[in-house]
Amino acid sequence: MDITTLNLKDNYYYQQWQNLVQNEGLVIENLADITETLGIYDGDKLIATGSYFENVLKYLAIDPDYQGGNTFNKIVSTLINELAAQNVFHIFVFTKPKYKKSFEYLGFQIIAETEFSALLETGDYSIGQYIKSLPKVTGQNISAIVMNANPFTLGHRYLVEQASKQSDYVYLFVVNQDASLFTTQERIDLIKQGVADLGNVIVVSGDQYMVSFVTFPAYFIKSRADVAKYQTQLDAKVFKRVASALHINRRFVGNEPYSPTTEIYNRSMKQILPPEISLDILDRKAIDNDIISATKVRKAIQESNLEAVQKYVPETTFKFIKNNLPVLLRRIHNGN
Amino acid sequence: MERLRRTMMFVPGNNPAMIKDAGIYGADSIMFDLEDSVSLTEKDTARMLVFEALQNVDYGNSELVVRINGLDTDMGRADIFAMVKAGVEVIRLPKTETPEDVIETEKVIAEAEKFFGIENGRTHMMAAIESAEGVLNAPLIAKASDRLIGIALGAEDYVTMMKTHRYPDGAELSFARNMILHGARAAGIAAFDTVYSDVDNTEGFNHEVEIIHELGFDGKSVINPRQIPLVNAIYAPSEKEIRNAKDVLNAIEEAHKKGSGVISLRGKMVDKPVVARAQRTMALAKASHLVDEEGNLYAE
Amino acid sequence: MEIKHTALAGTLESSDIQFTLSKGTGVEINLDSQVEKQFGKQIKKVITDLLSEYGIENVNVRAVDKGALDCTIKARLIAAIQRATDTQNQPNWEVLG
Repeated sequence: MDITTLNLKDNYYYQQWQNLVQNEGLVIENLADITETLGIYDGDKLIATGSYFENVLKYLAIDPDYQGGNTFNKIVSTLINELAAQNVFHIFVFTKPKYKKSFEYLGFQIIAETEFSALLETGDYSIGQYIKSLPKVTGQNISAIVMNANPFTLGHRYLVEQASKQSDYVYLFVVNQDASLFTTQERIDLIKQGVADLGNVIVVSGDQYMVSFVTFPAYFIKSRADVAKYQTQLDAKVFKRVASALHINRRFVGNEPYSPTTEIYNRSMKQILPPEISLDILDRKAIDNDIISATKVRKAIQESNLEAVQKYVPETTFKFIKNNLPVLLRRIHNGN
Repeated sequence: MERLRRTMMFVPGNNPAMIKDAGIYGADSIMFDLEDSVSLTEKDTARMLVFEALQNVDYGNSELVVRINGLDTDMGRADIFAMVKAGVEVIRLPKTETPEDVIETEKVIAEAEKFFGIENGRTHMMAAIESAEGVLNAPLIAKASDRLIGIALGAEDYVTMMKTHRYPDGAELSFARNMILHGARAAGIAAFDTVYSDVDNTEGFNHEVEIIHELGFDGKSVINPRQIPLVNAIYAPSEKEIRNAKDVLNAIEEAHKKGSGVISLRGKMVDKPVVARAQRTMALAKASHLVDEEGNLYAE
Repeated sequence: MEIKHTALAGTLESSDIQFTLSKGTGVEINLDSQVEKQFGKQIKKVITDLLSEYGIENVNVRAVDKGALDCTIKARLIAAIQRATDTQNQPNWEVLG
C-alpha cells in the first residue's frame, strides 16, 4: 500500500476523494484551503486520505474496512514528514471529539475541546510554551482584551482605557493574522504606541492561539447551523486556558450591533468563561452617533480620505497611515 | 561450496517494522533497499536505519545485501561508506549500464575499506541490470570485478524502456534473462531474476518461477515473505535427482578411497560440472529439509 | 555540537519512533510511549548517551515511540541530529563506530 499525492484538480481523483471524505461525514468547504492532499491506495481503491493547509491537518478520512489498523498512523505520519520537509514542525488538527484519542496516540496534545470538537497540536512548540513565554503579573483584578486592531482606532483606545481603569493589569492579546491590511507587526506597534501612556497594559502577541475563530476549519461539522457555535465555543475554551494560567478574571469585549456572528460569540463566551472569568460587553464608542470602526478607517484609506481617517484614529495611528498611504493603497489594490 | 541464493527478499530501507522482522522468513538473501523504495526526503534516515540494523539485528544465516543509491546521486558515496562500515556482505549497484559503473563503485568501496581499516576486498558486490545497454553489456559487467557475486535483472525499468509491459509468458524478458544468465555463467557468478509484484497472484508467480528455474537462474527476487516458500518448493530437487546426486557423491568418495583420480558412475566418467550439480542438488535438498545431515532421504 | 534549527526524523508507524529536535537550554526530553512504564528509562538512556556522544548539550527532544528497537531509536535520533546540524551527508564516523 503506497502513499501518493492526489491531484484534486483531476476529476478522476477528485471523485474518489470526494466519495471517501463524504462517506466519512466530512463536508467539503473550499478547495482553496488545501495545500496538498495525500492518499493511500489498495490496488485501485482509495482507502485513506489526508490534507494540510499551512500547518493545519485537514480532511482525514479512512475507509471503514481499513480503520483501526496502521493506516491512520501512516497517513498522519506522512503528512507530518511532508510538512517537516518544508520546515513546518508545529502542527494543529481540528477534529471530532471521538478522534481525540487516535491523535493523542500519535503524540498530539489537546489544546481545548468542546462537545462538538477538539483542537490538538504536536511538534516543537505548544500552548504550554506559549503561556510560559508570557510576562506574569500579580493582582486582584487582571483583565484581558483580544483584538485584531486593523488598525488601532479610538474605539479600541476607549475599550482599553475602560479596562485599564477597572483593573490592576490588562493583558492585550493581538490576534496574529497576516491576512489583514496591516501586518501583525504593524498592528502590534500601533497598539503599543496607542496605549503607551497606560502603565498597566501589557501588549502581547496572541501567537497561534488567539486567532480569529472564523478561521477555524469546520469541515467535520455536519450540521452547518452549528458551525459558528462550534467555532466560538472552541475559541472561548482556548482563551480560557491561556487566561486561567495568567490569573485573568475578567474579559472586556466591544459590542458589535447587527452582527449575528458576534452575537453567537458573546453567547458562547458567556457560557464558557464564567464563573472564573467574567465578561464585560461595552458599547462601542461613537462620535456624534457615528460608531468608530476599523472597517470605516480602511474604507477611508481606500478613498485616500485622510480627513476621515483622522477622525477615527489616535494621532499615532494617523501618523503611520499618512506616512505609508501609498504602501497601504498598493496592498488594497493587490487584494489585501 | 557455492552459496544457495534461491530467494532475495526486498526490504524497504525506511520501514523499521519490516527491517526488524526480515530475518524470520528464511530468505537466502535479504536486500535492504536505500534506492527506489525510499523517498528523496528520507534517504538519510533510511541509511541510518539499515546501518544500525545490520549491526544489531540477528538475521541468522541470510546473506545481507544493501541496494545503494547510484554514485551519480548525492547519496551514493555516503551510502557506500555507511554500509561498508556496518559490515554488509554485498553492496548492490542499481541501474548498472557498463563495466565502468562497477569499477567506479568498487573504487569507492575500496576507499571506504581503507578509511575504516577493513581488509581490502571483504565487501562483495552485485550489479542490477535494468536497461537495454546494461543487458547488452551483461557479459562485461559480470566480469568487471572480482568482488561481484552475481548480477540481477531489474525488469520494471527495463520493460518500460523497451516500450512493453510484463506479460504472463515472459516473452518480453526472454532475451534479457538469457543475456544475464549467460553473462553470469561465463563469469562464474550467480544470476538473479526480477521481482513479481502482484503478490496475490500465486499461480502467475509460480509460473514465472518455473520459467526461470528451467532457464537456470540461481533464484528470484521476492517482495513479500509469502513468495519465499513458493520459490523454495519449485527449487526443491525431486527424489530422483537427489538419489542421482547421492550416487555421484558416493562415487567420488569411492574414487578417493581407491586413490583413483578418475571418477566414474555406471560406467560413465563423471565431469566437474556434474559434480558441482550434485553438490548443489544436495545443498538444495538439505535446505528444503528433504534429507538429513548425512544426505539420507527422510522418507527412507 | 549546536542544534541549528528544528528537525524531525522517523515516523509514527508501528516499531518506529519519531524525533523532533529543537533549540533549547540544557537537555530536555519529552517522551511519549505506550511502553513508557517498562522501557521509558531505557529509551531515555539511549537518547542521552547518544546526545552526549555528539556533544549536544542544549536541545529539546520530543520523542513519540511506537515500540522501536534500541537500534531504531539510535538510527532515527542520529538522522534527526544530522538534519538539525545540517550534516546529513557528512556522518560523524567517530560516533557511529
